[in-house]
Amino acid sequence: MPLNKDSLPNTFLVATLLCLTCALVVSAASVSLRPLQLENAQLDRRNNILQVSGFTPEEIKEGGGIKKVFESRFDVEIIDLDTGDDARDECQAAMNKAKDKEVNLAEEYDQLWASKVNPEKGLSEKLDKKTDVCGIKSREKFSEVFIMKSTDGKPELYVFPVRGNGLWSLMQGYLSVKPDFQTVVGLTFYQQAETPGLGGEVQNPDWKALWNGKKIYDNGEVKLAVIKGNKAGNDYGVDALSGATITSNGVTNMIDFWMGSKGFGPFIEKMKNQDSGNTNTSAAGGNNVK
Amino acid sequence: MSSKTSAKDLIWDPVFNNNPIALQILGICSALAVTTKLSTSLTMSFAVIAVTACSSAAVALIKDRIPSSIRIIVQMTIIASFVILVDQVLKAFAFQLSKELSVFVGLIITNCIVMGRAEGFAMKNSVSDSFFDGLGNGLGYSIILMVVGFFRELFGSGTLFGFTVFATQSAGGWYEPNGLMLLSPSAFFIIGIFIWVLRTWKPEQVEEA
Repeated sequence: MPLNKDSLPNTFLVATLLCLTCALVVSAASVSLRPLQLENAQLDRRNNILQVSGFTPEEIKEGGGIKKVFESRFDVEIIDLDTGDDARDECQAAMNKAKDKEVNLAEEYDQLWASKVNPEKGLSEKLDKKTDVCGIKSREKFSEVFIMKSTDGKPELYVFPVRGNGLWSLMQGYLSVKPDFQTVVGLTFYQQAETPGLGGEVQNPDWKALWNGKKIYDNGEVKLAVIKGNKAGNDYGVDALSGATITSNGVTNMIDFWMGSKGFGPFIEKMKNQDSGNTNTSAAGGNNVK
Repeated sequence: MSSKTSAKDLIWDPVFNNNPIALQILGICSALAVTTKLSTSLTMSFAVIAVTACSSAAVALIKDRIPSSIRIIVQMTIIASFVILVDQVLKAFAFQLSKELSVFVGLIITNCIVMGRAEGFAMKNSVSDSFFDGLGNGLGYSIILMVVGFFRELFGSGTLFGFTVFATQSAGGWYEPNGLMLLSPSAFFIIGIFIWVLRTWKPEQVEEA
């Protein structure tokens, strides 16, 4: 052997070369597979939206796959969470500025990312301790809202992206509600890392099924909560997960925040006012959503 | 011994005669975690086979240049790179499965089998022998995973690869799923029974009391 392999120079040489090679291989794989992975992740989120709106896997298959069903049945709106107004253009402008390029909102608007960028970029705002009940620290300024329309163009369902901290992880999911903004259709999580078997049961279909038909607001306040030992027939309570108090509380806080005034409250209020203005029927739960 | 039989031996030996889980009792942690379903077991099996085979071959390739003072960390780096590679590929082409496997693909890095083969075999043998040895040990690990996955999915959910075999009561059938099978301890029992059966078949594996 020409070189003493245990010598100091060789040790450094091998270490350096190895690190370089491995780094190159790993980053090449990561970069080249990134677009596919992002597409998968988005498809997975779309799938969750469909499921939380009551589509069964068979229906999705018959309808020609996730993408097709989603695009044919859902409208994606981007709203300003503070006012509830449509804010696609503002969001587009802020995103273009933040990323310094022309952004394709439908594919590249990542709300979690947006909530974490510097508030000066106009995409997020810091939350103070009192309002930040679900521990997310800062909130995005613009949010997507998914509206499922019936064939005659009437909204059938609203799907809101929600998130909040559980015990270990940020739980990200979707809440779907009927156009009365009072009745829940479903809740699902596409991303969570709670204790498997305990908090992880937020993904259990039996537990998720409990949410269907629950009511959100009582006198304009969010009353819906996850309750230990919930009484049968209580429209405002979902039975807590046993052995997972912190996860259960996390879900309660999440609903509280996102359905409240810092979350989709302004949007809901606006939609209700519009509704009562048009048809003169005030939706259940009152107008002053807090 | 010709190289052909030796490659065959290298592959088949770890499957029954020197099974990494059953005889060496290595790497059982992930065998508990990912075996509730056959589909995840199979994916994990492929991941582990790919990582053990490739990392053993890669270690053998540069074994004459690895300074002994940093050999463990060199092996770790190579293994970790392959694991990340496998994880990225899964995320790109089998997203749903990679989501179900969650951290356990990443944890292949800490799977003692991979490290054990790199240090124990690949450091002393040729590239092709190491590759086959890694392949064989990966297969040995896989067969346990598949056996455990088979029983856990069949008795825990009444399905195999997601297809209904026993119609469960909740779906209007007759079979009441065994909840224990979905929990990690059941894998211990199945691995234990597997070892028992294997050692009855091959008594030379029984350790002296």
